[in-house]
Amino acid sequence: MSRIIAVAGRELKSLFYSPVAYIVLVLYLLFVGLLFSMLVFIPGELANPQPMFEWNHLILIFIVPFITMSLLSEEYRSGRIEVLRTSPLAELEIILGKFLGAMGFYCVVIASSVVFVLTLVAFGRPDFHPIFTSYLGLLLMGSMMVAIGVFFSALSEHQILAAMSTCVTLVTLGILVGFVRQLVPTAWFAATQIRHVLGYMAIEPHMANFARGVVDTQNIVYFLTGTGLFLFLTYVVLESRRWR
Amino acid sequence: MQHAAEIVVQRLTKDYGRFRAVDNISFEVARGSVVGFLGPNGAGKTTTIRMLTCYMPPSSGQARVAGFDVFGQSLQVRQNIGYLPENTPLYPEMRVEEYLDYRGKLRGINRTARRQRIADVAQRCWLTDRLRWLVGKLSKGYRQRLGIADALLHNPPVLVLDEPTVGLDPSQIREARKLIAELAGRHTVLLSTHILSEVELVCQRVIIIGRGKILAQGTPDELKQQCARAGAAGARLLVEVRGPSDQVLSAVKALPGVEKVQVLTDGPVQSLAVMGRLDAQLREQIAALVVQRGWALREMRVGGATLEEYFVQITDPGTSQAAA
Repeated sequence: MSRIIAVAGRELKSLFYSPVAYIVLVLYLLFVGLLFSMLVFIPGELANPQPMFEWNHLILIFIVPFITMSLLSEEYRSGRIEVLRTSPLAELEIILGKFLGAMGFYCVVIASSVVFVLTLVAFGRPDFHPIFTSYLGLLLMGSMMVAIGVFFSALSEHQILAAMSTCVTLVTLGILVGFVRQLVPTAWFAATQIRHVLGYMAIEPHMANFARGVVDTQNIVYFLTGTGLFLFLTYVVLESRRWR
Repeated sequence: MQHAAEIVVQRLTKDYGRFRAVDNISFEVARGSVVGFLGPNGAGKTTTIRMLTCYMPPSSGQARVAGFDVFGQSLQVRQNIGYLPENTPLYPEMRVEEYLDYRGKLRGINRTARRQRIADVAQRCWLTDRLRWLVGKLSKGYRQRLGIADALLHNPPVLVLDEPTVGLDPSQIREARKLIAELAGRHTVLLSTHILSEVELVCQRVIIIGRGKILAQGTPDELKQQCARAGAAGARLLVEVRGPSDQVLSAVKALPGVEKVQVLTDGPVQSLAVMGRLDAQLREQIAALVVQRGWALREMRVGGATLEEYFVQITDPGTSQAAA
């Protein structure tokens, strides 16, 4: 456990040493600020931050790949993977350390949006319950997104490639699947079932529940299985690289 | 019951697809000794080392490091080994002290012991004045020292150093060798290199590897003797003569017992390497010839057997069959 924390701590620090971290933070605040000013901060309306959280994943889809892209690919490229893998560390400790390090930074990113919540509190009386569940949702959604990023980072030694494939996957799950679901013709065989499956795969409906203040086991299971699946795939990739 | 050999390698083989990088090699390294692992680039040194350090599993065969099997007890092996990979990959954005602290954490050294160990290795590797530096700002020599300090941090019984002096300037190389020589006795050191003089200076034993196979092993002196013996069938003379170049060459070639003459430098003064039978009394013959023709004999000596010559001789594809 202490080794996982050591890897995670180093990763978190090194993210803050790089300029990417600050660019990512600024961009995130900028776009959440846009959502906030356009959909939430409207004089005379209810102080309801729900839209800000409901559409948050559209921003994070493009933010998370930059957090995760270098996690393992940079280790491959620089040869440090050899140092890491000849240390007395289990594969799982490396993966969890990297994952938690990136999650740490992700938490800093989403926590920065608290300024908007505070603004809302200063001017109105928002309901705190959905705000808490929204942050819980963002955390769970983030863990799946970061796990996807870790996986693609383990696949390639080019961090740009890792970022792009992560982004494509997240866009697919976050946006495309939702569209395709609408496009499935009713006349098709098992159209309702297909729609149901696609609806379950998409990120958006799961996050929407949390944003509304609903904590449903189905949504929690979705994000946690996603996280587990991609971390397991990362393990498979790391393990198979040894035999090459 | 502990084994006297710290590293035991038995019939180790590694295939990359259809290419056999390491072919059925076996050797042992005694506790506390410094062993040079010598070979031209691409001979399989790094592959062997990577198998010993558990970076990649062998295709077949066995290896034990500090009494643990590299395949079955990989974690214990990694705990007992300090490894400096080729090119010393480091994190440039960290500070030297921070990096060593991180590496100590990965090896499960507790906080107080860690502080002590860092101070100790920093002193042994002459890093004390650079502890607050960013790793990325260090010169190549200091990076190398940091790599060795990292390998020493948990005071492992076995040290594996892959080309530790590559890219260093001559004075840094001398320092690195001094450091490695100091490690002998306290640690078992396997040192990979393709620089021969290094091996002669710091290693008690040498293992020469070429195209995945062990070509020779022994102490540097033993190898030199083997080399001399291998060359015993033919003596080698280095001769420097002032005289007309075409005549000198043809006349020396015509002497009885001369098998091969190699022109090293041409011109009014020629130096020749003369290979011939040992019983042919070449030196007397050449001296007489020079005097008889009225040329000047500037130098004549028997070419000594250096490890370098032996190395070239046995790793050269053309001659290796005979030597192996």
